[in-house]
Amino acid sequence: MNDKPENRVEKIVQDLLRGRRLKLRGGDAEEKAAITAAARLAGARQGPQRMSSGFRKRLARALEQAPSEGWITRRAALVAGLGLAAGAAGGGVLGRALEPRPAAASVEPIVPMHARWIDVAAMSDLVEGQGKRVTAGSIGAYVFRRGDTVSAVSSICSHLPCELSWDDGGHLACPCHPARFTPEGHPMGSYGLPSLNPVHARVTAAGRVEVLGTE
Amino acid sequence: MTPEEQAGQQAEVVELPAATRATDIALDELELVYAFIYARVGNRADAEQVALKAIPRLRQGAPASAIRGYLFATARSVLGGFWSTRLGLSEAELREDLALAVPSSPPSKEGVETVQQVLAQLSDNYRRVLELRFLHGYSLKEVAAEMQSTVGAIKVMQLRALRAAAKLRMPE
Repeated sequence: MNDKPENRVEKIVQDLLRGRRLKLRGGDAEEKAAITAAARLAGARQGPQRMSSGFRKRLARALEQAPSEGWITRRAALVAGLGLAAGAAGGGVLGRALEPRPAAASVEPIVPMHARWIDVAAMSDLVEGQGKRVTAGSIGAYVFRRGDTVSAVSSICSHLPCELSWDDGGHLACPCHPARFTPEGHPMGSYGLPSLNPVHARVTAAGRVEVLGTE
Repeated sequence: MTPEEQAGQQAEVVELPAATRATDIALDELELVYAFIYARVGNRADAEQVALKAIPRLRQGAPASAIRGYLFATARSVLGGFWSTRLGLSEAELREDLALAVPSSPPSKEGVETVQQVLAQLSDNYRRVLELRFLHGYSLKEVAAEMQSTVGAIKVMQLRALRAAAKLRMPE
């Protein structure tokens, strides 16, 4: 009986109205529209909320301590190939983070530990003006052909660790927010994001495209 | 990989004016972000959890005008991760449900007024059941008595009303 959608949603509404956190489980996705609507109604009925003083202090401490701590960075996701998994892991993977190095460091080419050249495609597979998504072990990249040469950029957004997609307009688009990048990895629009990390790529004498990746 | 690189946290940069105390600016902006998040998760515990993950990386020396857009973009992404994890869906599947507009100012309307504005677009029964529950805090039993119906029927009506409300645009 409790598995009926109206019962599940009622339980969630009860929790929300009592100020409890959302406890969702498998199968609730079927009612994602009703659940997100209930959360928004519960949130809106109380008007714009301010942080509690305790939480504000906690945030202040986190902000002030952050630059001196060894936070983990997006770069780790790039090398470890976490990509979308990091974005969806909730519970504690996304975001707080404060890399002590300046943003310029994020545009360094990716050189994995124990790097090796990985064959990813034939040169003839690449079409000028179109990005091709390739995987070189733990490294995901978009490869571009220009004449007889190739270039490559990371397939992970420079903002959040989300996998970029190649859109019809000739850009790399992030699924997590309205951000796009040129094939050279330069950000477009007003967000002022860092550029994408370049990935080393080369063409062999046999006409194969290789990317510097991992086993 | 160095130890600091091992746990895979995402980094974000927000440029702040050098002359002002960065933490104070960030906290004031984070108040807006917190309200934005709270209005979408509907409870304090989850709002705090999401807000903590939306903390930016601070750096001195650039225009403050970029801060808000950055913070909201981050908050939206983290909210995407929150719903994705809680519902067990990919973010691509959730995209249609996530508000993509970036608010440029704090929410201006009072909460009750906002809810009423949204609910006014629903049919009478749907509007009534959601008003009684979310604005007046009635239990299902009380709603059933008020609407001269059964608890079971009201429960189903509530679900259908929420599905209908999800299709309406909530004011930012």
